[in-house]
Amino acid sequence: MVYLDHHATTPVDPRVVEAMLPYFTVAFGNATSRTHRFGWEAREAVERARRQVALLIGAGAREVVFTSGATEANHLAIAGAAAAAPTDRRHVVTVATEHRAVLEPCRQLGASGWTVTELPVDPTGLVDLDAVARAITPGTALVSVMLANNEIGVLQAVAEIAPLAHARGALLHTDAVQALGRVPVDVAALGVDLASFSAHKLYGPKGVGALYVKRGVEKRLAAPVRGGGQERGLRGGTLNVPGIVGFGAACDVAGREMPDEARRVGALRDRLWQLLQERAGGVSMNGASAPRLPGNLNVRVAGIDGESLHVGLTEIAVSSGAACTSAEPSHVLMALGLDKTAALASLRFGLGRGTTAADIDRAASHVADVVAHVRRSSPVARLAAAGAGR
Amino acid sequence: MYSAAVLDRVRNPRRVGEWPAGQTDVGTGEAGTLDDGTTVRIQVRVSAGRIVEARFKVFGCSASIASAALVAEWLEGATLDEGRRLTPGRVVDALSLPAERAHVARVAVDAARKALDDVTEKAERRP
Ligand SMILES: Cc1ncc(COP(=O)(O)O)c(C=O)c1O
Repeated sequence: MVYLDHHATTPVDPRVVEAMLPYFTVAFGNATSRTHRFGWEAREAVERARRQVALLIGAGAREVVFTSGATEANHLAIAGAAAAAPTDRRHVVTVATEHRAVLEPCRQLGASGWTVTELPVDPTGLVDLDAVARAITPGTALVSVMLANNEIGVLQAVAEIAPLAHARGALLHTDAVQALGRVPVDVAALGVDLASFSAHKLYGPKGVGALYVKRGVEKRLAAPVRGGGQERGLRGGTLNVPGIVGFGAACDVAGREMPDEARRVGALRDRLWQLLQERAGGVSMNGASAPRLPGNLNVRVAGIDGESLHVGLTEIAVSSGAACTSAEPSHVLMALGLDKTAALASLRFGLGRGTTAADIDRAASHVADVVAHVRRSSPVARLAAAGAGR
Repeated sequence: MYSAAVLDRVRNPRRVGEWPAGQTDVGTGEAGTLDDGTTVRIQVRVSAGRIVEARFKVFGCSASIASAALVAEWLEGATLDEGRRLTPGRVVDALSLPAERAHVARVAVDAARKALDDVTEKAERRP
């Protein structure tokens, strides 16, 4: 089985596992224990990891707040900024193609009386900057626009949105989960106030992430998870030391290997796209071809029922155009203007560090075989193929 | 999520195909619409009151492919009356279809009944 679902998660790099291991057993201390060596050791490891994460994102170490993952980081950013916002700012601007870990906390604000603007995207998946500018008002507390989309891989022009948000006194948050380790991320150059990250998308462990909080912006956050005062009061709870160490190590590896790896993976992705067009035919790319993550390819297949396509695909692990939780089509693909059938007949390929040229060849042939076979058994393949380019 | 009976029929379909609908010993039935997401075409070739061969084509989910394949399987060798006694319930049971997919078994059975009606009508029209 060829794993081509690196947007869902990635395997933990063996070098990362190696770095984590001592912190489960011998160096098991609580990073907030101040009175003995066990605590100091854990604290040191956490601070080293904080510097490693900060280095990869272009932040200062004190600007990194560890969380249990990106869902929590998004929640801290959105619910936290909302809770601390002045009473005359009760408006949040986001985009229809955001991950549900952004949309849900925004909608939660909507349910408590906030105004929520979910901006549409164009057929390539990009948000219109003029529309962003128009949406932000003096009553806007927060703008949240993701850097790289988890389904179609397109990169939003976050750096150009920053001045628009700041001109109105709003905070800018970006969910940069899918970008980190795949393309350069520099929070200072982006000009964001808040940015979310997750270790398991870059060959680190699951259940650990971080929120970048620009210096000074912590005063504009009211932490939803409070307790022992960890993470400067922004996120209570005993630190996940092995996980955090793993996140740091993963950032360290990514920083060193990203330029070569991005080129390699990008070339494989281009090869996959070419082979699918040649061998399967009747395929179209969902989302802009650029700017896009190098390892992402999202295609819709004409003249085919998506569910039977996916049931037929036994040799590759890819993700479907269905929302992960149901047979409903993905809200991202629907936001591009696809109809339901086309959205469901879409495949998301996520290439990664372990992907080889042989994998790509095998994947393309397998997809072509299954597509041919499902089309052959269809009474309407020709008819549907003609109308499915939407 | 799906039973082995479904997966096998999706991955190794037998009896996929079509004959020219005009042939006098061939009955053709279609049911379902693309808007509903499932359309099935079943064809039967009849000789001396017995279905000697059946073919199907499907646009739809894997449950619909498996349903049409199973219906075609059952029709082969059956008399026209036996073919008419096929019910969606039997298809659902044989394939252990999840409840939310049960309606596609009805589409397959409807197509089969129309195919049987078609070939019967053709036989009656013959001098
Ligand atoms: C864009 C994006 N945001 C947030 C998340 C959630 O991250 P986590 O699994 O760390 O909570 C994911 C991963 O599924 C994602 O792709």
